[in-house]
Amino acid sequence: MSAIPAIELIDVGKHYGAVSVLSGINLSIAEGEFMALLGPSGCGKSTLLKLIAGLEELSEGEIYVGGRLANYLKPSDRDVAMVFQNYALYPHMTVRENIGFPLKMSGLAKDAVRGKVEDAASFLQLGAQLDRFPDELSGGQRQRVALGRAVVRQPLAFLMDEPLSNLDALLRVEMRTELVRLHKRVGRTTIYVTHDQVEAMTMANRIVLMHKGVIQQVGTPAEVYSRPANTFVATFVGSPTMNLFKGRIESGGNGRKFVGPFELPLNGMGTKLADGPATLGIRPEKVQIAGADTSHALTGTVELVERVGADSFIVAQLGGGTSVNARVDAATEIKEGDLVAITLPAGALCLFDAEGIAVEEGT
Amino acid sequence: MAVETAARLPPAIAADHARARRARRRRNELLRHLALAAITFVLVAPFYYVFLASLKNATEIFSYPPKLLPFPPYLGNYEKLLFHTGFLRWMFNTLFVAGSVTTLKIFLDSMAGYALAKVDMTGKKVVFMAMLILLMVPIGALIVPLWSLMSSIGLIDTYAALILPPLANPLGAILMRQFILGLPKDLDNAARLDGLSEFGIYWRIVLPLIKPGLVVLAVIIFTDQFMSFIWPLIATTSDDLQVLTVGVAALRAHGGANYGLWSASAVMSLIPVGVFFFVLQRQFLARSLAGALKQ
Amino acid sequence: MVESGVTAMAGTAGRLRLSPAEHRRLARKARLKRELTGWMFLGPMFLCFLLFLVIPVCGTVWWSLQTGNIVGGTHFVGFDNFAQLPDTVGAGSAIANTLIFAVISVPLILVGALAVALVLARIEHGGSIYRFLVYFPVLVPGVVAALIWLFLTNIDFGLFNNLRKAFGLDPITWLSADNALGLLAVLDVWRNVGYWAMFFVAAIIGLPTELYQAAELDGASVWARFRYLTLPLLRRIIFFAVIVSTIWGLQVFDTALVLTNGGPGTATTTVIYRVWLFVFQSNNKVGFASAISLVLIVVILALTLVQMRLLRDRRGID
Repeated sequence: MSAIPAIELIDVGKHYGAVSVLSGINLSIAEGEFMALLGPSGCGKSTLLKLIAGLEELSEGEIYVGGRLANYLKPSDRDVAMVFQNYALYPHMTVRENIGFPLKMSGLAKDAVRGKVEDAASFLQLGAQLDRFPDELSGGQRQRVALGRAVVRQPLAFLMDEPLSNLDALLRVEMRTELVRLHKRVGRTTIYVTHDQVEAMTMANRIVLMHKGVIQQVGTPAEVYSRPANTFVATFVGSPTMNLFKGRIESGGNGRKFVGPFELPLNGMGTKLADGPATLGIRPEKVQIAGADTSHALTGTVELVERVGADSFIVAQLGGGTSVNARVDAATEIKEGDLVAITLPAGALCLFDAEGIAVEEGT
Repeated sequence: MAVETAARLPPAIAADHARARRARRRRNELLRHLALAAITFVLVAPFYYVFLASLKNATEIFSYPPKLLPFPPYLGNYEKLLFHTGFLRWMFNTLFVAGSVTTLKIFLDSMAGYALAKVDMTGKKVVFMAMLILLMVPIGALIVPLWSLMSSIGLIDTYAALILPPLANPLGAILMRQFILGLPKDLDNAARLDGLSEFGIYWRIVLPLIKPGLVVLAVIIFTDQFMSFIWPLIATTSDDLQVLTVGVAALRAHGGANYGLWSASAVMSLIPVGVFFFVLQRQFLARSLAGALKQ
Repeated sequence: MVESGVTAMAGTAGRLRLSPAEHRRLARKARLKRELTGWMFLGPMFLCFLLFLVIPVCGTVWWSLQTGNIVGGTHFVGFDNFAQLPDTVGAGSAIANTLIFAVISVPLILVGALAVALVLARIEHGGSIYRFLVYFPVLVPGVVAALIWLFLTNIDFGLFNNLRKAFGLDPITWLSADNALGLLAVLDVWRNVGYWAMFFVAAIIGLPTELYQAAELDGASVWARFRYLTLPLLRRIIFFAVIVSTIWGLQVFDTALVLTNGGPGTATTTVIYRVWLFVFQSNNKVGFASAISLVLIVVILALTLVQMRLLRDRRGID
């Protein structure tokens, strides 16, 4: 990997009049990286993609593509290719003409165009469709034509705007693997916009979580999962969502403890956090459920058991309206109404301050 | 199928019901045909009546009871019309002007519609609003300033005077904008990324895809121009620039009551549009749908 | 990896590599290019729009404040033209005639069109022939339509009187001072019913059939289905049709000229007709003509705004 990032965003912002859609975006995308822009609808991820592509104008900041300042370059001069959510195939051109179009526009000789088109088509298993029109193709085939049109340019980076969201569930999973395989083979920088955290988690090298036009966290899937930067990230990533308990940190005789729906000694955690309001978080699969016995501090009653094949999802009531989500092995014998002992292992806990921002652990 | 419920009718009665329904349907259809036949007869009969008159000489026209079939046909009216009046010239003028306006507007309006739909420019909203508001202001209400304007440029009594003012009608631009907005999303963005200039996008992507809309537009404009009267009336004075509508009106106004001539002129005037309409029926009827598009 | 670890907001907040001034300059250049492109597309049509529609509208205002002739001099008289309008011979009657004309023709056109559309929408075979025939009169230029109606209304050999004779009745003067305006309205109905019929057919076909099936199951009669289902559903479209056909009705001129020359007397002299007479057939009346034109324009604009307000209720203008 070269030292120059493939795409760099510095203090990028976009606003329409008084409404700010993006602000303070700083991002550095390495060459060959698969980066996912993840967030709920309206968070600005598609706008960010369009800014990189040059289809929208920046309000502030700078974008560098391949080391060159791209702010004032035409989209076609930026050496990026885009796959749109609705594919945007030219309805009046055949598949062959669609895929070959960008090459034709760049002035390549007819034979060269033909050759590249056929390479791309066979690569994407579209050989038989070359002389058909988009409206004769299935959704999955159209998507591959859109990919072909992007691939054939051999651009610096691929920009993908929720390309799988128009496909049915089965096809989506299939195409997901195809895209990852494609990325491994071609090795080009890819920026992938999605609202589906499963897609982002399974496909990306790094994920950028966005909310209301601001980057919430940038990290690998593992980092984003196990060390979320704030409560938004914590609840957006992972299914079922992380358990969050609101309460306070209090110092007392026996050391500091978390006081909320239950009491939990902190044992040296949260040293950087002052006393005061805080939120405690733990992922469902880290919650330990066992038969009730008196030695445990935390007990609850099982309210719901969802058996989903290899796992079972438990919802246990602690009383006072607080419930805990837990994931256990399907083999565990448990049924609704059982009294259970709940253990929240210290190593799996996440602490968030009053604003919901994660507290870094010292040592 | 073995489930018997109280609601199930025995097959014989069910068949009766079905037969009654079919008969009722047939009867309703027959009534509809009768109603429509009557209505269309009333609407179309005048044309036939005038067609008959055009093939009668002066005495036959006034005779009662009137001849109901055009045999033997008297061709003197048509002869007079075609060879002793400027009718053919008028027809040419109308077709020329209507054709020019239509061709020009196809490009002007589609380009304007493209800008309004797909190009990010300041003042777009204002321009569009202005067009919507002034859409229904007719040329007939503007004859004073228009005539004065044309006169001061010295264009009165030229083809330019006939062709230019109709170009101002914003209906075309509004329609084109609507059609272009209806194109698949991001098509222009994909084209921009592929390297097309704005004009390239307009020419190679948008125009081919809105062809049906262009045909509808052409039909609307051509028909409007064919029928326009008051502006050509005042914009042209010399004989060889008269358009069809004005020339035919002049037949009525001058030269006494030559009914035969008048009826022949009516019939001949209808031939081009009649043929046009017959060939392009669907596009003509889409003209009414264009209004429904606004909903 | 450049950025591992966890940061909520500030990343490596880099410094911009180009000065703000440079950015402003380049941004302005890019924006200018974009605007220019846009105006190259919009420009030609917009220019025509300005020259031959917007400016003439303003011109009408100016002319309405003058008195004189359209060629040669005029001088400013302020609002005098408007003040004298009610007393000016021909102005009041023109407005009255036009209003009466619209009041007669518009309801007839729309009721007729709706009736035809209801039948036409449900016909199963042969619909296209009827559509062609019903729509045909729409394509007839006003001048020609009036000529045709001369042949219907002529005292001696007109179709109407021939029919009367066939039933043993005496021929009557169809274009008398009392009847002419009404007949002009009927002519307009004949011409325009087809246009709106097609319009309503498209709308009716777009109505959801499930509603009608449900109503039929509930035992609603044909009339009840029309009154409680069709009419309310078509309310907006009918309203639209009323406004637009009224605006068109107010412009009547060709037919009035050719059918009756505005007469007998001034019985069928409409607004635009009067304007034409004032400008091209009289002296010193261009101010009045423009004043009347302005009144017409204002009425049309008012109707347009009413209609736009109606459409905006459901969906904003893009």
